[in-house]
Amino acid sequence: MAAPRNNNSSCWGVPDVYKHHEQKKICISRPKYRDGRRDRAVKVYTINLESNYLMIQGVPAIGVMTELIQLCALYGAVEEYRPLDEYPAEEFTEVYLVKFQKLTSARAAKRRMDEKSFYGGLLHVCYVPEYETVEDTRLKLQDRRRYIIRAVRNKAREKEQKEAVNEKPTSSEKATTSETVNARYEKTVVPDNTGNTSNICHYSGFPLLPFPPQEYHYHRHGNPHWTIPTEDKMGTLHNAIIDTKRLEPQSSSSCQASLDKDRGTEQRLTLNQAPAAVRFVPRTTQLENRKRRMEEAADHSLTDVTINNEPLIGPKLPEPPKLDMEDVSLNTTANLIRNTLKKVESVPDLKPVEKKVKPRRRI
Amino acid sequence: MWKKDSSEGSDRFEYLQTLVTEFQDTDSVEAKEQVLANLANFAYDPNNMENLRELQVPDLFLDMLTEDNANFVEFGMGGLCNLSMDPESRDVILQSNGISLVTNCLSNQREETVLSAITTLMNLTTPSSRAEITDPAILQCMLRFSLSESPRLRSLAAVFLQDCCSQEQVARAEQQMQGQQTAVGIPLPKDD
Repeated sequence: MAAPRNNNSSCWGVPDVYKHHEQKKICISRPKYRDGRRDRAVKVYTINLESNYLMIQGVPAIGVMTELIQLCALYGAVEEYRPLDEYPAEEFTEVYLVKFQKLTSARAAKRRMDEKSFYGGLLHVCYVPEYETVEDTRLKLQDRRRYIIRAVRNKAREKEQKEAVNEKPTSSEKATTSETVNARYEKTVVPDNTGNTSNICHYSGFPLLPFPPQEYHYHRHGNPHWTIPTEDKMGTLHNAIIDTKRLEPQSSSSCQASLDKDRGTEQRLTLNQAPAAVRFVPRTTQLENRKRRMEEAADHSLTDVTINNEPLIGPKLPEPPKLDMEDVSLNTTANLIRNTLKKVESVPDLKPVEKKVKPRRRI
Repeated sequence: MWKKDSSEGSDRFEYLQTLVTEFQDTDSVEAKEQVLANLANFAYDPNNMENLRELQVPDLFLDMLTEDNANFVEFGMGGLCNLSMDPESRDVILQSNGISLVTNCLSNQREETVLSAITTLMNLTTPSSRAEITDPAILQCMLRFSLSESPRLRSLAAVFLQDCCSQEQVARAEQQMQGQQTAVGIPLPKDD
């Protein structure tokens, strides 16, 4: 193929100025009935014009990059960003390239930030699909098609539901309407087997969820070991998409699965320690040993622990230094307590608090 | 977003009907362009698909592809690009002989029009239409686009070549390119 699949060098290369970056003249000759709330140019929007990548022009050159990215992160997770120093900018302003994880976030950010003042400058925000890789483009089109199919189906279902209500105006209760809808589906679905039919009806009788699990970043943080996106030599994270793809089936089974998994590893840990021989040690000796170990740990904690933790790069939390209690059963108990505490701590974390995932770094 | 009352739905239908009527009745090119852009943008919202089909807007868009006014062609092609995402509208476009009309837009001077045409062709690909859409002439055109200066054109053509046809078909088209060339997708020189 002439265009390599992950053409990163061209993606983050020297940018060109394209026509669609320019603000078109607004149209002032519309009759009132089709004049919108906002002044707009005569332009047709297609999926080709949209993108996860936004270019933000007119940012005052006063070192407000962090503030800008924080503002962007209000509209969704920012995957990466960088200043476009090569791009022709007005005097005393800077141009930034921001990649959002989701198109919907980019859309919201564009709508809210375009033509808004920011530290005394007027921002101009536009989509820059020319920064997409082939894979980005493919995913964008696939997502759009899936969204349309889902939306159209939902609409048809809604309509059918309404008709069902109209057919039986006497019973306006929700339960009965859903029953009639299910019955309607029962007619359409060909019963292939005896037991399966009810399942299928159940499945197709309810409207599909509006959005598939797209908040990959939550899982990415939940299981940092096997989803840390690897950066290429340019420091970009384009290949991270491959990782999210791999995640997709897992994410559908929600956090329950990951919880189970955690529990599974815990059990394995405790089981591994259980078979060790139990030997009796007087409590005073244990306390003495513990005190000595703690003192040792305190001495070395500044050096040893940090060195031990050094190879762990990435969002993984540093493990609290584990104390050896010099006794298997005590260790098991300590482990249990530690794990329970961890579990308790992790519960409020289930909410994806990290709405603004910190972008990796500035290139 | 798609939670609309039925009354609101009929309002929307009437509004769209007013647009179509104005488009047909007005003699002002400017007004036509504005209305056409409006309709094409309404086609972006899946809620309007049914109404637009009922008003035969897919055929209206297809008619625009053979106009001389480049804005008409661009907006019509953009509208088809939006509409063809929906399977039912896709079938309507296919029945109206849309493939050849859209294929002709591959040689348009404007990049936006060409991009809409490529995306539309991808959307129009079904088991029964695949043979027509993977015609060697179209594949050769995509191969040329995949060498284009424009990154958007390059990426989109690459997606087409990777997703809509087999590698053998691409290889065959590449071979044929060594021999005779087709003119699909090559813009005519500008008149002015």
